[in-house]
Amino acid sequence: MPTNVIMPVLGMSQDKGRVVHWLKAEGEKVRAGEMLLEIETDKAVAEIESPADGILSRILTQEGEEVPVTQVIAVIISEDEASRQPSATIKSEPVTQPVKVPSTPEARPVVPSPLAARIAAEHNIDLQEIKPDGGRIQKSDVLNYLSTIKTVKETAGFEARLKASPKARRLAAEHRIDLAQITGSGPEGAVLADDVLTAAAGLSPAVPSIPEDKPVTPNVLLQEYATPGTIWRLMAEHTTKTWTTTPHFYLQRNVNASRLLAWHKLVNENTAEKITITDLLVFIVARSLIKHPRLNTVWQDGRIGLTGEINIGLATAVEDGLVVPVIHRADQLTLSVIAARRKEIVSRAQSGKLRPNDISGGTFTISNLGMYSVDTFLPIINSPQAAILAVGRIAEQVVPVNGSVGIQPMMNLVGAFDHRAVDGARGAQFLKTLAEIIEEPIILLK
Amino acid sequence: MSMPKPGLQNPNTAEMRELTMSQAVNEALAEEMRRDPTVYIIGEDVAEAGTPFKVLLGLVDEFGTDRVIDAPISEPGFTGIAVGSAMTGMRPVVDIMFGDFLGLVMDQLANQAAKVHYMSGGKLKVPMVLRTNLGATRRSAAQHSQSLQAWPSHIPGLKVALPSTPYDAKGLLKSAIRDDNPVVFMEDKLMYQFKGPVPNGDYTIPLGVADIKREGTDITLVGTSSMVHVALDVAEKLQEIGISAEVIDPRTTYPLDKDTLIESAKKTGHVIVIDEGYERYGVTAELASVIADGAFYYLDAPVKRMGAMDVPVPFSPVLEDQTVPTPDSVFEMAKKLCARK
Repeated sequence: MPTNVIMPVLGMSQDKGRVVHWLKAEGEKVRAGEMLLEIETDKAVAEIESPADGILSRILTQEGEEVPVTQVIAVIISEDEASRQPSATIKSEPVTQPVKVPSTPEARPVVPSPLAARIAAEHNIDLQEIKPDGGRIQKSDVLNYLSTIKTVKETAGFEARLKASPKARRLAAEHRIDLAQITGSGPEGAVLADDVLTAAAGLSPAVPSIPEDKPVTPNVLLQEYATPGTIWRLMAEHTTKTWTTTPHFYLQRNVNASRLLAWHKLVNENTAEKITITDLLVFIVARSLIKHPRLNTVWQDGRIGLTGEINIGLATAVEDGLVVPVIHRADQLTLSVIAARRKEIVSRAQSGKLRPNDISGGTFTISNLGMYSVDTFLPIINSPQAAILAVGRIAEQVVPVNGSVGIQPMMNLVGAFDHRAVDGARGAQFLKTLAEIIEEPIILLK
Repeated sequence: MSMPKPGLQNPNTAEMRELTMSQAVNEALAEEMRRDPTVYIIGEDVAEAGTPFKVLLGLVDEFGTDRVIDAPISEPGFTGIAVGSAMTGMRPVVDIMFGDFLGLVMDQLANQAAKVHYMSGGKLKVPMVLRTNLGATRRSAAQHSQSLQAWPSHIPGLKVALPSTPYDAKGLLKSAIRDDNPVVFMEDKLMYQFKGPVPNGDYTIPLGVADIKREGTDITLVGTSSMVHVALDVAEKLQEIGISAEVIDPRTTYPLDKDTLIESAKKTGHVIVIDEGYERYGVTAELASVIADGAFYYLDAPVKRMGAMDVPVPFSPVLEDQTVPTPDSVFEMAKKLCARK
């Protein structure tokens, strides 16, 4: 049975995915669990494992193409099936003899005719690239191969060709206007005759110049442009979309972190796995969300979707921007399991080896900038989630303690909420639960 | 090249009357039969009945049953008689009741009439006219509603005329009868009662000369037969939204007046070709190809074709009306093609 490789669903709002890079070529052997390709969703780049052992028989979605989720993007067949289908694209194991056709039962070494060899040499063609019609590479095989390359080249050139109507091209030539400088108003941005005439009219009075009273923005001299990487671009797109389409509101609360610090110290005395403040917060937030299911929702198409799982995302800085790996069902995990999982995904995030499962299914996000000595900040929600918690550093502050002045380790929490899914009261109640647990963790035992 | 508009045509002829398409065809036949004793009519129900569409009414009274011959119901048979008699020097006008029956006479037409002149080394000729009709929306169902002008247009040796006005019908039919080649003459069965100015007396319109039915600058609507009137309606509507449409009627699909089509396309840069026959492999394909080839560097959009849908013509009126190009569908297409910034 051939196994289909599908474009996976990594996020709740994801409907498409793009193939970034195939790590295996058609005809290559693959093992189940082995990395097969990289894909890009609206949130991140992820590596996809092969679902089966066998041979990557066909790649249906090429690099750079975007397809709907669950669409079949490749087919893996077993080695048995591969040997029964000589027509399938299969590359044989490293060739020992000079030229050999794929390992079909009637396979024979292929020898070129002298004429074929000469033509191939004249055109710098590797004879191994040529699949002969018969048992021997003839002149016609070489010529066929030549015409194929030519077609491919021509096709590529055609795609890159600027779109313009024949009339527009003629007019542009007549007016000596570069078509590439004209913005087309036609289908697919094609330059039409009117566009050329408009441009011609605009150019004719004088040499084009920028009026001095209207400086070009930005009013600085740009030295160069940096092309952002994929993760950065996705971050830019995702935050822009969220920020411009999600009505954010913020609730802020100072909490006393002395008990939290005591707890942190205690657990690290008794655990091999180093447990961080972030781990404690994941633990606390996950259990608080049980009481406040409304915070663990998504706003989608005018409805509030309950997610059913508590999966905590951790905003993680990587070299090329921001990714949000997820600790799934964090409400059911022990502290040490949370810590182990956090270590694993953060390290994979930083080495760019996140797997689809690592970034999918998040229902609530924590962003902790305490390690950068940030006191407090207003985060952007990780849509379609309904809320995000921003955590600042723990620092000593002068605070009133039982009617006198005391110095206490304080921490600032900011909750950002999607007002379509959460209102002020619900957000405040959630923050109250959080604060109570942080100030008195023993409440968790209730 | 173009003929003047109806009503302004033939200034030499003093008397202009309003005639129906049917009357114009009848008058052309009567005048040619008076002029030339070798001209005769053969077909089903052509004599007393004057055909189901009453086009030939009264001709048998003047010319008798020797020259207006009611044939048995055998289209291949009486078409063969006509082809044979044409080879001997007669000028038969065959009446095929519905264009859909072209299939029955295709061998006589395509393999005999069209080929004999060539295969006899020019010794024989077939000066025959085969009159038949086209046109949907008469609720005549799938076997009586087709517009099959593409079929004869495909065959070397045949000429094909598609008149769109009473004036054109009379002038083209006279030319067809006088032509020494077989000519298929197709009338829109829904236009038989359509009226227009027709000069009294003899005039001819040469085969192979297109007519500019309306002048314009922004888009060319090429229409044949019934679709000329759709194009004229659309041109009127387009005028209201500031688009100036030119309407070209090729009048004959062969010989084809390529120059007029190409010149108009060069002028406007946008073209829709409309024909009531099936769009698939249809007359529109040939015309569009001629235009795209000849006016390529003047086109600002692809040449669009509009014809009958790729289905048997339905009997249901609601469905039938949607299978052929309508003023609305052509108007929408024209707007799309001419869309400006």
